[in-house]
Amino acid sequence: MSKRSSELTTLTIAQAGDLLARREITATALTEAFLARIAAVDHKIASYITVTADLARRAAAQADRELGHGVRRGPLHGIPIALKDIYETEGVLTTGHSHLRKDHVPSVDAETVRRLKAGGAIILGKLATHEFANGAMTPDQPFPAAKNPWNTAYQPGGSSSGSGAAVAAGLCMGAMGSDTGGSIRNPAGFCGIAGIKPTYGLVSRCGIFPLAFSLDTAGPMTWTVEDSALMLDVLAGYDPNDQASAKAPKVDYGAASHRSIKGMRIAFARGWHEDATPDTLKGIDEAVRVLRDLGAIVEEVVFPDLWDYHICGRVIITVEAHAIHRQEVIETPQSFGYTTRRRFQLGAFLTAEQYVSALRFRRQLQLDTRAAMRGYDLILAANQWGPPEPFKEPQPIFHFLDKASFAMPFNVTGQPALTLCCGFGSDSFPLAFQLVGRPFDEASVFAAGAAFERATPWRLHRPSL
Amino acid sequence: MDDKTSPTLEEFRARAALSGLPLTPEDIEELHKGYVGLVRLMVRIPKKWDWAAEPPQVFRADE
Repeated sequence: MSKRSSELTTLTIAQAGDLLARREITATALTEAFLARIAAVDHKIASYITVTADLARRAAAQADRELGHGVRRGPLHGIPIALKDIYETEGVLTTGHSHLRKDHVPSVDAETVRRLKAGGAIILGKLATHEFANGAMTPDQPFPAAKNPWNTAYQPGGSSSGSGAAVAAGLCMGAMGSDTGGSIRNPAGFCGIAGIKPTYGLVSRCGIFPLAFSLDTAGPMTWTVEDSALMLDVLAGYDPNDQASAKAPKVDYGAASHRSIKGMRIAFARGWHEDATPDTLKGIDEAVRVLRDLGAIVEEVVFPDLWDYHICGRVIITVEAHAIHRQEVIETPQSFGYTTRRRFQLGAFLTAEQYVSALRFRRQLQLDTRAAMRGYDLILAANQWGPPEPFKEPQPIFHFLDKASFAMPFNVTGQPALTLCCGFGSDSFPLAFQLVGRPFDEASVFAAGAAFERATPWRLHRPSL
Repeated sequence: MDDKTSPTLEEFRARAALSGLPLTPEDIEELHKGYVGLVRLMVRIPKKWDWAAEPPQVFRADE
């Protein structure tokens, strides 16, 4: 019980889990340390919309009682986490960062939230997001924009903006994000943390506000890769209430994150990021060197053009998001932020033939990617072109027209994709890259990501607030 | 108007009037820019498919 508050909030989930199991710390002390830090510093980055302090304290007391009797529910028992505010929570405001849901209090937890609670996790609160996981963070929305803890004049990335910012700032040990076109990996990269978009269908989306049904995924964001593996151990599994849910075999991801990667074959998609900033190129080249030193075989492979995946995914998102939000953009268009409204309206102008062509193209890209990856366990790809954008108004409405997304290929193919930090640029912002597995092979992704982190010093450097 | 040729703002206004959406003039101008940008990129999506080429009804990552 002697650890100071600042020491508690910089523990990883794996470290805290060990200390809790040995009763060297309590869930109550851990929870109080995070609540105190949220009170002290969150006003600088606005990562939380709602802090559920009383519920967290009750859950922590319950966890301490159980752990005191030798009952450990799993790796998240007593661990304080937080949720992107598109995850429905029983009796707790769930806003989607939008005027349209600013008073919405669900009566049932999302399936993922139910699993986290059943695993003993302590929910600290609800986190800022781009409106309905799509629009930019603009001043016409009901809550402030989350800021990047490495430099608060800059965006944290999105759409899981609050999740990335809160984890990096030490305001929770892990957070839930969602990823339809990069919304976990984008803020994970810009905030210098780990985040995984699981295989489409591995984690239930039931009870999470949808953006595009055929691309939406839910996943964890944490300080380390191993911690993401521990969270996925609790989250993964079939859910009959999610039409896309897969009956995949149970895997011990936490154990996989300690596997050797000697002999692992990695296809390097170098051709995609030749125009990235020099810092980014250097960070990725150094990551390749580290993985080779660890015994992996990394070879350059040519994949389909990045823009092909990008436009395929954008057409699907634009049409599906319009279908989901059409009624509200007709009835109360002024209630949306100015970027969100236009992004949701645009789908009204695409035709059925264009949508079906994009779906057919998706199948082709999936097959072409599989063929390019034949003989390899993983793909290594860039995560971002350079540092995050500074805050400025007005913001671009259709941000996706200027640059192709490195994340989108794996939304289109459905493969698991992990973002992790590979150093810091000359501007002090984190650098990042992606490791991507075959469908449902998150284990190999975690093995390589965790081995990389253990071999590099980047997890020792935290933002100061 | 072909799906993949860019409409003028006037042509787009006419289409917007049929969309069922309550749009301001500013909305229409922004949406026109977005639509033209998308259409430009959509030349990458093949238009000619075998007539029976079936898109995934429910996407399965594991097939």
